[in-house]
Parts: sequence; structure tokens; C-alpha cells
Amino acid sequence: MLASIIASGLAIGAVYALIGIVYNTMFSASRVMSFTAGQVGMLGGVLGSLFILRLGLPTIVGFVLTLVVAAAVGVITEVIAVRPVLSKLDQHLYVLSTLALALMIQQVTAIEWSTEPQPFPRLLGIGNGDPLDEKFWLPVVACAVVIIGLEFLYRHTLVGRAFLAIAEDNFAARALGLPERNLRMASFAMAGMIGGIAGFSSGELLLAFFANGAMLNFYGFVPVALGGLGNNRGAIIGGLALGLFQQAANFVFGGVFASVAVFIVFIVALLAAPQGLFGTTTARRV
Amino acid sequence: MPLTRRRFAAGTAGTFSLAASGLARPAIAQSGPILIGWMGALTGPLAAPSIGFERGTKWVVEQINSTGGIKGRQIEIVARDTQGDPTKAVNATQELIARQKVHAIWGPPNSGESLATTPIMARAKMPNLHPCVVNSLIDPEKYPNAFRLAPSNVQWDDAVRNYCLNVLKIKEVAIFGDSTGYGTSAVKDSVAGFTKDNAKIVYNGVIDPNQSDVTPDLLRMRDAGAKVLVCWSVTTGLNSRILNARAAIGWDVPIVGHPALGTGEVGKLVDKPANWANVYMVGYRSCSFGPDGRLPARSQEFVDRVKGKIELGDTVLWWVTVAIDAIDLIGKSVAATGSTESDAFIGYLNAVNRYPGLFGDYSFSPQQHNGFPTEEVVMSAANSQRDGAYALAPGYA
Repeated sequence: MLASIIASGLAIGAVYALIGIVYNTMFSASRVMSFTAGQVGMLGGVLGSLFILRLGLPTIVGFVLTLVVAAAVGVITEVIAVRPVLSKLDQHLYVLSTLALALMIQQVTAIEWSTEPQPFPRLLGIGNGDPLDEKFWLPVVACAVVIIGLEFLYRHTLVGRAFLAIAEDNFAARALGLPERNLRMASFAMAGMIGGIAGFSSGELLLAFFANGAMLNFYGFVPVALGGLGNNRGAIIGGLALGLFQQAANFVFGGVFASVAVFIVFIVALLAAPQGLFGTTTARRV
Repeated sequence: MPLTRRRFAAGTAGTFSLAASGLARPAIAQSGPILIGWMGALTGPLAAPSIGFERGTKWVVEQINSTGGIKGRQIEIVARDTQGDPTKAVNATQELIARQKVHAIWGPPNSGESLATTPIMARAKMPNLHPCVVNSLIDPEKYPNAFRLAPSNVQWDDAVRNYCLNVLKIKEVAIFGDSTGYGTSAVKDSVAGFTKDNAKIVYNGVIDPNQSDVTPDLLRMRDAGAKVLVCWSVTTGLNSRILNARAAIGWDVPIVGHPALGTGEVGKLVDKPANWANVYMVGYRSCSFGPDGRLPARSQEFVDRVKGKIELGDTVLWWVTVAIDAIDLIGKSVAATGSTESDAFIGYLNAVNRYPGLFGDYSFSPQQHNGFPTEEVVMSAANSQRDGAYALAPGYA
């Protein structure tokens, strides 16, 4: 019983954490909270199922194509929903533009794919539904690979440092000659790929279902708020904690009450640390 | 000729008195086509049942009209696509009544839509036949015009309870549903029914239909001592997760419940075909294969007759047959009374006793507008669909 709760809690927590990283990556590059974060996660599952099950492509080809399309969706988000409103960040128009794009992605998926959950292929064939089944540990492995990859990118590569530079101060970065717009587009492409990895790795758990987008948008935001906006490590810890707590609450309280329990804890945590558990308060000139 | 106030008043009075005399309209209405409004979710995510209803509706109208119609009058279907949206259903209802001036309405088949349209039809005294399951849709005092051709939720619940307690002879029951409005109310009704019959309800609750892993919920049911699970969920994702999680924890407990347990979509989502075994859904005798692999005589004859004419492989047989029965009943009413007036329809339907339809033997009375007999609601093996019908669950004679 405990093994089952831990396995499913870590798995779904890792997916929430990855969506949290998508939020953070998009935010760092643009200062925009994009509501397409959950939708690219949903697309990861749908596209994986489309390429591998429906079109019969090999798993690795399906995975690569999923990442390519997810990256394209990230770029489209930047071009259509973010760039036009960047000059009016203080009016929060991005809420409307990214939400509208997210709804469009969801509706097109529902119409063109299916309104019912569709099966996702077994990727490795390991496990039999038990706590060691691949559907539970694949999202955790994907999460670990992504966080290691991001750490390497940000700490040991020039491009990664350029990403950090525009995240820190995009005016100064531009003044130093960094191609801010291209870096922002690259950030959104990378965010799309991370969302694609989240959806693909959790396809066996969440199935290829158009409504996953809204759910991931919602629960993926919790680790961002818990861990502190822009803090990937905080998102990882917040996501895993959320997943574990949610599954434990499912067992103890049952479905609907579990959601209530999750949000009570969330609200209490934010009351205790409004900047997030791992966030830092910043000074603002008044 | 100038329009004066006096001429206008006289003209208006004349028009009203002519309309009130009832002379002009019947002379036209009783000789023209029989107009039947049919509305359903013909497109959109809720379209699957209505596509089945539509096939039956079209087929039976062709049959009747090709043999001369009803007393020489052809049946004309005025179809409207509601897309499962109650607002569109309300608009369609008003248009069918006020503009199209239909004589009776078949549908809508979705309970959410019907909840919105039933009071409107009642105000217009529009004869209405529908297959919706929500209990409150039938009330002969409030809605004397509305007649149900399918079982109500209560009848489904009775069948599930009867199967658990009297056929499987199990009293330790876990009852759960999805956290939609339907799931929540169905669980509540089911708990009340099992409590009344002195069953031991060891667990009851609702589950978020998007919950990715339901193993904790199943473990709670198992730890509580459940020997049978009663499932009231229309969500294929949740239903398949329940079946997969049951297999993963090695618990071969029977699952009994909503017809959605037997949809092909669930079959696509189970990890192994074996996970779908020992699952029993609400079904109907007329649409159930017996041990010999054949349907009851009336249904088998119909299926043989429509082979190649109505596609049954991708739909549910009762959706097709209940539509045929609905149109047939309206036709029989006109044949018997010679009238398409509302009172004639309602009077005829109130006197129907054991009408041998394809889906069931219907009986109505002025006090009872639930026409489908409870004894024809049975349980079917969820994994046995063939030509839109299912095999009877074990234990039935």
C-alpha cells in the first residue's frame, strides 16, 4: 500500500514538477506566466500516441517528433501570445493571450484527436502495473534527466549563461549585444520540449487525453507557487511533495476530499511563505 | 383602403375568433404529413448515442413511408442537432413547437438537455417521448405529456442491486462513482437502495475522473472488506483505470454498474483483455445474447433483417431499437385515433399496455409514465459486445 502511494505520488509529482519548470522557463525569458504550459504537457501524450500507435512509427522516432512539435508549439506561443503583449506587461494582457491560445490548443486537440482518453503505447514493457511498473518511474527519470540537463546547460555552456543573463536583466543583456529575441524564442522552444517530455513520459499514466492540459495547467502551477517563481529546484521539491501528498490524501480521505486537503495545505503554505518556500523576497524601488 | 383603428380591431377580433374556433387548422393538419420533431446531439463529444438513435429513426420512417405511411399520411422528421448543449436544445424545442408546429417530439436523449426542455414541452402540451434516465424527468402531474421509453436511474439501480444481492449473493458492497453531478447523485441513490435492502456498505465515495492512479481508492475498498464493487461512472478513463488497478493489485473482485463499463473505449484502455473480465454492466434482455449466442427472437429477427442496412458494429443495439419504438408508438397513436392532436397522443399513450416494442414491452397509465419494465433490465458481461449487443451476465435463466 505504502509502495503504491509512493510510486504513484512520485510519478505524478514529477509530472507536476516538469510542468512547473515549463512555467519557470517561459517566465524567466519573458516575465510572462504562460497558460500554454499544461497544454504542451498534454500534447506530449497525444502526439506520442499519434506517432507511435496510430501512425506506427518506431518509439524513438515518435519521441523525437513529439519533441519537435512541442518545441514548435513553444515558439508559436512566444510569437502569437507573448511577444505582442510584452510591452504591456503591467496590464497583464498575457493572461488573456496565453489563455486564449491554450484554449485553442485544447479545442483543436479535442476535435482532431478525440474527446475520450486514448491509449498510450507501452514504451519499454517493464512491469505489470505494480509499483515498479515503468509508468511510475519513467516520469521520475524524465524529471531527473531534465533537471540535470538544465543544470548543465545553465552552468557549463555559453548559451545557458546567455539564458540566465536575459532572465536576470534583459535590458542589460541586450546592451551587451545578446540576441534577446532569439534567446527568448529558444527558451520557449526549450520549455515546449520539456512539456513534451513531461507528457510523453507520463503518457502511460495519464493517457492521451485532451483534458489533461487544463489539469496540468492547474496542478503544475502549484509547485511554482510553492517553490518560488523562477526557482526550478523549488518546483521539483514542490511538485514531488504535491504528488506524494495528493496520493496519500487520496488514500486517507478519498478523491474529492483529497483535492480539498491539497489546497488547504497549499493555501497554508502560501500564507506562511508568500514568496514560496524556496523563493526570495526582492526589493522594489518605490 | 386606409387602416383605421376600428378596422384593425375588427380584423384582429376576426382572426382570433377564427383561430379559437378550431376549424381551420385541423382541416389542414389532419391530412398533411405527420410532423415529428427529433433532436439529439448529432455532432460533438456526446454524439455517439444520438447517432445510434438517428439510424433507428431514419430506418423506421423509411419503412413506414414506403408502405404508404399512416392512414395515407407520410411521416416527416424535423431533425435538430443540439450538440449536447441544453441551450441549443431549448432553442430547438421552441422552434419545433412554434415555427415547425410538429405534432410530437422524440428526444432529446441526453438528460441534461431534457431537464431544460421538459418544462417547455409541458407548457405547450407537446407529446414527448425520450430515453433519458434521470428520475425527475417523469412526473405525470407536472409533465403529463412526457413518456419515458428507457429505464430510469431507479430501475438501473434496482437491477444492479438485484444482481449483487440475489444473483451473486454478496452483501459486502463498495459503491463509488465519478465526481461529476451524475456520479455523485447516482452513488447517493445507490447507497440508499442498498441500505434499504440491508446490504453492508463497507465503502462509498466519489473519485475525480482525472485521477491518474486509483490504486489507493481500490486498496481502501479492499481493506474495508468489499466483496463486490458498484461503479457509477460514465468516464471511460476512470473506468479503465479501475480495471487496470484491480488487476495490478491482484484482486479479482466483481465490478457491477453503469453501462459505460462496456463501451469499446474502455476496451481500448485496459492493459490486457483479461482486466475486463468479471465486469458486469446494466443491460437489457432484448439486447442480450443468451448462452446459445442468439438474441431473443424478436431482436434476432430484427438484426437479421437490417443486416447491411443499419450499421450495428459501432453502436449500441438499444439506441437503434428504442428510436424505432418511439416513432412506431407515435405512428400507432395516429393510426388508432386518426388524430395528431396533443390530447389524442397523450390519451393513446396513457392506455398503452404491454406494447411489444423491439427494445421492450412498454406499459403506461395516467399515473405511470415510466414505460420500460424493470424485469427487462438485466446485467450483461461488459467485455462481450457484438453487433451492439452483449452477453447476459452469469446467473440469469
